[in-house]
Amino acid sequence: MFNLLSILFKYVFIIIIYLFIFSIIRLIYLDIKSINPVSADDSAYLKLINRMDSLPYKIKEHYSIHGQLTLGRANDNNIYIKDPFVSKRHMKVTEDEGKYYLEDLNSANGTFLNEERIFDVVKLDSGDIIKVGNVEFLFVNRG
Amino acid sequence: MLKNGVSPKSPRNLLFLFEVLSLFLLFIYQWESVNRYTYITGIGLIFIIYISNLILNRISKGDNYIFLIVTMLISIGVIMIYRIDSELGVKQLIWLSFGIFIFYLTYFTLRFIRGWQKWITLYIGVAYILFILTFILGTRKYGAINWIQIGSFSFQPAEITKILLIFILASYYSNTEKFKKYKNAKYYIMLIVYSFIGLLFLQKDLGTALIFYGIFVAIQFIYEEDRRLILYNLGLFAIGGIIGYGLFDHVKVRILTWIDPWSYIDNKGYQITQSLFAIAEGGFFGTGLGLGHPEFIPLAYTDFIFPAICEEMGLFAGIGIIMLFLILVYRGFKIALSQINPFFRILALGVSILFGVQSIIILGGVLKVLPLTGITLPFVSYGGSSVLSSFIVLGILQVASEDLPIDEDLKLEEENNEIRD
Repeated sequence: MFNLLSILFKYVFIIIIYLFIFSIIRLIYLDIKSINPVSADDSAYLKLINRMDSLPYKIKEHYSIHGQLTLGRANDNNIYIKDPFVSKRHMKVTEDEGKYYLEDLNSANGTFLNEERIFDVVKLDSGDIIKVGNVEFLFVNRG
Repeated sequence: MLKNGVSPKSPRNLLFLFEVLSLFLLFIYQWESVNRYTYITGIGLIFIIYISNLILNRISKGDNYIFLIVTMLISIGVIMIYRIDSELGVKQLIWLSFGIFIFYLTYFTLRFIRGWQKWITLYIGVAYILFILTFILGTRKYGAINWIQIGSFSFQPAEITKILLIFILASYYSNTEKFKKYKNAKYYIMLIVYSFIGLLFLQKDLGTALIFYGIFVAIQFIYEEDRRLILYNLGLFAIGGIIGYGLFDHVKVRILTWIDPWSYIDNKGYQITQSLFAIAEGGFFGTGLGLGHPEFIPLAYTDFIFPAICEEMGLFAGIGIIMLFLILVYRGFKIALSQINPFFRILALGVSILFGVQSIIILGGVLKVLPLTGITLPFVSYGGSSVLSSFIVLGILQVASEDLPIDEDLKLEEENNEIRD
């Protein structure tokens, strides 16, 4: 009885070990694929703070800012987030003479800069945290 | 949630399934000797591992794969140890639970105490004290004087010193500017590391000496500006090896049994030949747990756990273990690459090299690819000090995988806050 079980189980064990390895490699692959390498000449970008696999929609780790960056639920935004708390056109970051400004586009649930809801155009400093719905971004300016 | 079919939950559940099935099988196998105590520790550990994997996702923003990989390794290891000797298996279960506790302890101390890079003299001092203690109090086990026995409790100081070595190198190479005012700092650091290696040689602990050398050369190769030093190192290694071969008998024996174990099959080559027989006996799928004869291999529960696993769970399980180590080391390097704090970056690098070198040395040893030196296979082998030090090292890697502030950044942040206030 034991011998039979043991012989059966050895195959099961090997299958489980390989499934385990496969699923980890798969997750790591997804992790790497989603990394958008930040090139050295990028001076400003938004970095995702949330853990990527905790969010149930597609999102990238880095978004570099060239001139203007829009965020919203609609697909034609630079960053589109399929989150019910995000408005179709939610907020935008604009560059002007090397400075970066954050503006809320009359969104329903608001845009938060360092935990404070914004109503006007606000200048961004490196290290600021922008929160939209459940998603948090870190603003980095290396210029 | 992810459409591609693999959710973060799936490896965790696979691991859980694996543990439950193997526990079930082992309890049938050792039906007469199982008591309630064993039951509780076994089931307890399964839940500790499952819950740890769950909690770690919440408390740590860093990597969440390394702990999963390691828990798979310890599960395979503890099953095999329990099958070889149920008493040791229960002890190992307790060590592992304690190890996971130490992992969290390391994680929180490293994270919330700042200034680890400043205490290089402390690390060097403690390392020398541990060496001296080993010489005074050390007892000889399997040919090497590397155990300190206090009462019924014994531990291997070298397991701690190898962590200290990584700390010494990390604090040196992350503060090279500060050490530049001493003209010969780079030679001093080399002298210190070589004195460690020499002391290990005198203790006849060749495997650990090799690990020290591997970590030192690798980190020096990456960070040393003076490239000549690396050549000196390689030269010294060659000379040291040849001198060691000529002077010490135990080095000679290792080389002889590596080249031709079959002529010494009745004594010195017994272990390595038994190991090869076991691997051959198992074949691709193994004989099945409890149906092989891993007890023919001396020390099958510590250094020679790999052939025992190959015999009973198959070569495929053995290849699986090697792949798990590969992913672990790969994750370690990835963590080092994305860490911006230089001290923790070098720590992560040193830790990954430690896992890599240690597993290569012992796996190569039991497969007769490298001369055999007795060290443990991290996380898989039986052994209190080995398990604890491996979990400390894993804790370091977990901290290094998070976004840590650099000291200059900290100052900037403070200034910004003041302006805003």
